[in-house]
Amino acid sequence: SKIELFQRSVETPLLYGHFSMSASHLGKTPLDIAKLRDAVRKRLPELLDTVRGKKGLILDPQLTGPLSLIAEISILKDHGVEKIYHLDDNILDTDCKNLIYICRPKLKYMKYIAAQIRKDRQDTSKRIEYSLFFVSQRTMLCERILEEEGVLGDITLGEFAMEWIPFEDDLISMELDNSTWKELNLFLFFSLSIKDGDTTAIHQAAKSLMKLQQIYGLFPRIIGKGDSAKALADMLIRMRREQAVVEEVSSSTSRQNPSLLNSLSTHIDQLVIIDRNVDLYTPLCTQLTYEGLIDEIFRIKHSFVEVDPSLVGTAPAPGQSASAQPAAAPAGASAAVAAGKKKNYALNSGDKLFSQLCDLNFAVVGGLLNKIAKRINENYEERHQAKTMAQIRTFVDTGIAEEIMSQTITDEFNRMLETQQNLVAGVDSNSEVDYIEELIDKQEPIVKVLRVLCLMSLVQGGLKAKVLEHFKREIIQASHISLTTVFNGLLTCEIIQTYGYEHIQTLYDLERLGLFNVRTSSNASRAAYANVRRTLRLIVNEVDEHNPADISYVYSGYAPLSVRLVQCAVQKISAGHAGGSVPGIGLLVNVVGGGSSGTIGSNNTASQNGGQDKSDKTTVSGWKGYEEILKLLPGAAVDEVQTVEAKNEREAKATAARAKRSLGSHHKKTTIVFFLGGCTYTEVSAIRFLAQQDEGVRDYLVATTQMINGNTLLESVIQSTPFDRGESVEQV
Amino acid sequence: MAPNPTSGWIQLQDRFYRKVEVYSLLWKQIELSKFIIAGAQYGGPIAMIRDDKKVLLLQNQQPIKPIIYIYSSAGKLLQQIQWDKGRIVAMGWTEQEQLVVAMEEGTIRMYSLDGEYTQFTLGKEAKEHGVTDCQIWGNGLVAMTGNYQLISVTNFEEPRPKQLADPGISEPPHCWTVILPQYTLSRHVEVLIATAATIIVVDGQDAVDQRLQGPFTKMAVSPNGKFLALFTSEGKLWVVSTDFQKNLSEFATKSGIPPQQLAWCGTDSVVLYWELSTSKIVLMIGPFGDWIKLSYDDAIYLIPEIDGVRVITADKCEFLQKVPSPTEEIFAIGSTSASAMLYDALDHFERKSPKADDNIRGIRAELGDAVDNCIEAAGHEFSEHYQRLLLKASYAFGKCFLDSYNAEQFVNMAQNLRVMNAVRYYDIGIPITYAQYQRLTPESLIDRLINRNHHLLAMRIASYLKIRTDRILIHWACAKIKASTEDEETICRAIVDKLSQNASLSYAEIAKTAYKAGQPRLATRLLDYEPRAADQVPLLISMQEDELSLVKAIESGDTDLVYLVIFHLKRKLPLGEFFRLINNKPLACNLLQVYCKEQDRELLKDFYYQDDRRIESANLSLEESFGETDIVERISKLRIALKLYQDDRNHTFEAKMVEDSIKVLQLQTQLEKDLKESFIGLSISQTIHKCIILGQSNKAAKIKTDFKVTEKRFWWIKLQGLVETRDWEELEKFAKSKKSPIGYEPFVQECIKMRQFQEASKYIMKCEPAARPMLFVKIGAFREAAEQAFTNKDMATLREVRAKCPNSVVGQEVDNLIIQLDTK
Repeated sequence: SKIELFQRSVETPLLYGHFSMSASHLGKTPLDIAKLRDAVRKRLPELLDTVRGKKGLILDPQLTGPLSLIAEISILKDHGVEKIYHLDDNILDTDCKNLIYICRPKLKYMKYIAAQIRKDRQDTSKRIEYSLFFVSQRTMLCERILEEEGVLGDITLGEFAMEWIPFEDDLISMELDNSTWKELNLFLFFSLSIKDGDTTAIHQAAKSLMKLQQIYGLFPRIIGKGDSAKALADMLIRMRREQAVVEEVSSSTSRQNPSLLNSLSTHIDQLVIIDRNVDLYTPLCTQLTYEGLIDEIFRIKHSFVEVDPSLVGTAPAPGQSASAQPAAAPAGASAAVAAGKKKNYALNSGDKLFSQLCDLNFAVVGGLLNKIAKRINENYEERHQAKTMAQIRTFVDTGIAEEIMSQTITDEFNRMLETQQNLVAGVDSNSEVDYIEELIDKQEPIVKVLRVLCLMSLVQGGLKAKVLEHFKREIIQASHISLTTVFNGLLTCEIIQTYGYEHIQTLYDLERLGLFNVRTSSNASRAAYANVRRTLRLIVNEVDEHNPADISYVYSGYAPLSVRLVQCAVQKISAGHAGGSVPGIGLLVNVVGGGSSGTIGSNNTASQNGGQDKSDKTTVSGWKGYEEILKLLPGAAVDEVQTVEAKNEREAKATAARAKRSLGSHHKKTTIVFFLGGCTYTEVSAIRFLAQQDEGVRDYLVATTQMINGNTLLESVIQSTPFDRGESVEQV
Repeated sequence: MAPNPTSGWIQLQDRFYRKVEVYSLLWKQIELSKFIIAGAQYGGPIAMIRDDKKVLLLQNQQPIKPIIYIYSSAGKLLQQIQWDKGRIVAMGWTEQEQLVVAMEEGTIRMYSLDGEYTQFTLGKEAKEHGVTDCQIWGNGLVAMTGNYQLISVTNFEEPRPKQLADPGISEPPHCWTVILPQYTLSRHVEVLIATAATIIVVDGQDAVDQRLQGPFTKMAVSPNGKFLALFTSEGKLWVVSTDFQKNLSEFATKSGIPPQQLAWCGTDSVVLYWELSTSKIVLMIGPFGDWIKLSYDDAIYLIPEIDGVRVITADKCEFLQKVPSPTEEIFAIGSTSASAMLYDALDHFERKSPKADDNIRGIRAELGDAVDNCIEAAGHEFSEHYQRLLLKASYAFGKCFLDSYNAEQFVNMAQNLRVMNAVRYYDIGIPITYAQYQRLTPESLIDRLINRNHHLLAMRIASYLKIRTDRILIHWACAKIKASTEDEETICRAIVDKLSQNASLSYAEIAKTAYKAGQPRLATRLLDYEPRAADQVPLLISMQEDELSLVKAIESGDTDLVYLVIFHLKRKLPLGEFFRLINNKPLACNLLQVYCKEQDRELLKDFYYQDDRRIESANLSLEESFGETDIVERISKLRIALKLYQDDRNHTFEAKMVEDSIKVLQLQTQLEKDLKESFIGLSISQTIHKCIILGQSNKAAKIKTDFKVTEKRFWWIKLQGLVETRDWEELEKFAKSKKSPIGYEPFVQECIKMRQFQEASKYIMKCEPAARPMLFVKIGAFREAAEQAFTNKDMATLREVRAKCPNSVVGQEVDNLIIQLDTK
């Protein structure tokens, strides 16, 4: 029965993922993102067909979501898949004669597979054929593990290239683990160079970006900020050099699949790499857009949101009735059972209503939904009979919005928000410490506590002396603790006392990651944030959520630093407006500040300001003019121009001409913004806002290692013990 | 003067076939009947070895050990391999022109043309029962074992023997063959076995009896995989679609003896060859039952090609094919096609005959096609004389009468012909046809040339066709190293000089060759030029360059490579040496930690210990302690951690905490004993909370003191605990015990959460005056709320209370208060 349970839990997203919608909403931009999906979609049946007959499919649990975005379950069934399992440490007892594994090359998976094969071997009557497809590339390391486990000879290895999961025409993700940022930076504390750490993710990112270059041509310019961004850019350049060799070696295959690595892209003007390390403030703040809040409250996984059916109020859909819901779930069955009861909904622009709402500040969503809700309210009682997807969707959105609303009106939510806003705005007040202390005292979830605490530490460059004194005073009045104990110890002491001693490690790791520090004598970092806040005008006081004039609307007044950097690099925010003056920090402030006057924020900036402005905006000049701002932020700056060698020029021109023919000569260029270490939904919304401003001038494509928020970012650091695994920390 | 193109033509009903003599073979009369022979497609080489099953006339010069001879299609000896292994059951060629030799004992060897080999085995089943026969194709094989099981390999690059379904036979089949994976519906290989009177189709899953009326003694699948030619024991040739659904033709040969060879000539006729002691007969049978008989003096061998069949005789290489249609149009006797007229016109023109003009006029409308046709026909011509004539007719002559003509086709064909003629030259000996050349691709043709060490020709063709030359150079360099006796310096310079014009070129292959050739230093030097780390590192590992391989892997930034080296080193070196090697390489150290955390904690402990990383050791010990279910074990792990933290003055905080955690565990153990409840694993706050819930206030208070829990936190915990157990009496006592450090609002809020408005109201008056009105509103006490706001003289709040008030009576009272306050 376990098998069936797993099977269902896997099928759930496939059946309720609105795959037909997810298939049709892509491919509407010149880049044609659907291409990325279609290549994977084509490959899936091919790899299933490498094995003859009926087969069992064993999936990496992290890949079920992404896969369901790419292919519907009927594809699997049509190609002989009888059963689907999740890959975990359970030994399967299956009557399938063929097993196909699809997973990322992780060591633990190799152990699971090896255990399975060894177990099956004991039963000599069984003759199972095993195949294993690595996403996206096989590694020698995994092969070595299989070899050491003595099963390499029993299993046919292959690759399943799924570098990018396209969510929207302007959003693609590698969907790596949430721990990516942590893995990249954990060793930075002891090492001088980012390259000494676990750079696996940088390497994967480079491979994935190379794939984009193969399809769309070389990025004419690569700029970026942060040490990891620099390492990534270096690797991209190195790989390009190496790739030339590979292509030669397999000249016959490259013939069928011509790669565009020897010509500059005609679609893409530049790649902007934002190292998450440069801006950790943003993810720690609570996202205030509709989609952002859904993520904060419900948690979006691979663009699906899991919702309790009662919230939406729909009756069980056909096929999801009694037979699919065994009444008696066996005791001790894992989270898969619980998940089976909830429903997955795909959040993407295949849903028209959602696409109208997702980027709006939630303050506006309420009103809008209200109007729509009124319109459908007459039918509200009919929701149990709701039949069409569109109808169900409306109820889903209303249900979700109601739930969010009920949380956002609480005092707790608003105090949290107020604290965050004071912190990022640099408003000095003692209440933050009290607030954090109270959270601890009330035994609120540790991730909530750490989120504020880390934000405070980051913006204040460690925790400040005044706070320390305050605490000392408090301590003298209220407790017997000796004065010599340092403040840092106290607060962390409380965390440990409240949340358990395993968090000695959590706090140690947070410190190594630079998220939580004791303020030392140097004031540099505190001043640094204040400086950045001022020069990049991160705080915008008057925000009109209904008619936003600036990206700061996504946090109701705080502009994500990461996206401000993108504005510097891409929009050259000061240059066009100031007409010939030297682009400088002061001007930047003016322009951003003057948002409400209409220079920024109107959809037709380019036409208003005439051709001069347009040419300024379309030329790509890297970080020029913003060097001073970049110096305020940690990590190296990257600015590389990629060129094509003369000997390839003829070929390049031919490709360019071909591309032109297929597209028509007039098309906008696309700027790719790649978030190394994760990206939030608010940042996506902010970049979409830039895209609106730049309409007719350029498109944006957000690419990321994965989608994150403050909780997922910190959860990867929070130490779990064997006793609390499977709860909030462990991701399913 | 070349013979007339039609001189070798044979008519088969309405179509023409031609037999072209391609080469007079360079070998001395060879008795083909005495050999096992395998010919490669696309005009490839021919391998042969004495067939030990055939009666051997002992001759003096006969060597004891057999030799595999490999000849070019022109009969030039390319390689000979001394055979000292077991009995050969079959030979065949891969797409890359490697010779595959299948041995009885279940081993498969693959020889390159320079005599080097790799080998693999077909597994236990094959070894136990022996291999009796083997069908080999371009990228795979199927072997039949002594117990009639089938083992397939479908990729020579990564050979993975796979047993197919049991065909269920118990005696040798009459014959058998395979349908290649690319031609089956399932894309997996299918095996056809003729047994008893029927044919069984076997794949990985099942064996299906086709229930036919045989028996069948010989069979062959057409080059496109669509048709199957079967020879019955009654001497009937039967052609059927490979799915046995469509009967195509039948022909009675009246020969009870099965032919020696049955081969397809292209896809529309079948060639049968009988090797009788008295005569050698070849019968070609067309699709409509018409036939031609050819006879030979000595034994021959047929090599099927995609567009015909190559006939190897004792002294000749011939090519038998259907005459390509453009050629037929032009040269067929009495043809009046436009292209024939054009070709004829050229002849007239050169003889200054006015008929030339008439011809052109007559075909004006079709001239464009005629020109194209002549170009096409040139491609199909083996004779350079006619190639030239046809091109001349089309391009130099016919084109002149056209207003506009795109020269692309002509240029391409001229290029193709130059390449084909070059490789057809007898010394090279690849009699490739135009159709084969197009299928094979120029790149593969170049590969074949370099495998034969024709580097210069390969280079010329590559640069002529503007194909990259890297592979040729690499192969050349490898060949040079293998053949060279010069010193390291000279070879290295020679190679680098030649190759350095090419910026991006892989040196790994060359370095590997040097290493294999016993020149490790040359290998290392060459490897330095390799731009791809992924290729450098494995080689360095096999060259025992431990440190260098690690350094290069780290430089690459590819963590997978670094892991590869780390594991190799760990396995190879004593632990101390291993640590010494990685110690000064932070990336390697860090990756080792990442790996060990998940897979090998013992190794991690050793690593931290030798590197004196106490804090890390302590953290590790701490982490382990939480996984221990046994308390004694857990405490002992904690003590280890404690000791390590204490050694470091910067970690007094951690030391203190661990000390506390030991104390907590001891306390919790005691609590469990006393209260018979589980406590272990709870935090201090949770422990206090649980004590409160269990009504153990004293114990809770003691923990608070022992662990210096702050007043505020203690109040919160106790408050929540009492509310949770609904101990309102105790709560009230607690509130009065002393002035609350957290104020009284939390009391109100917590009670409200439990919907205990009555209880909540008890604490509202203890709260700050400013907060009171709204707290009253929350419990629905609007009158009190209004009164408090009035007392505070807070008009704004008063109005808010009024706005929220649902009761009109109370509302009236609030209105009065508003008026009062307003007038004050």
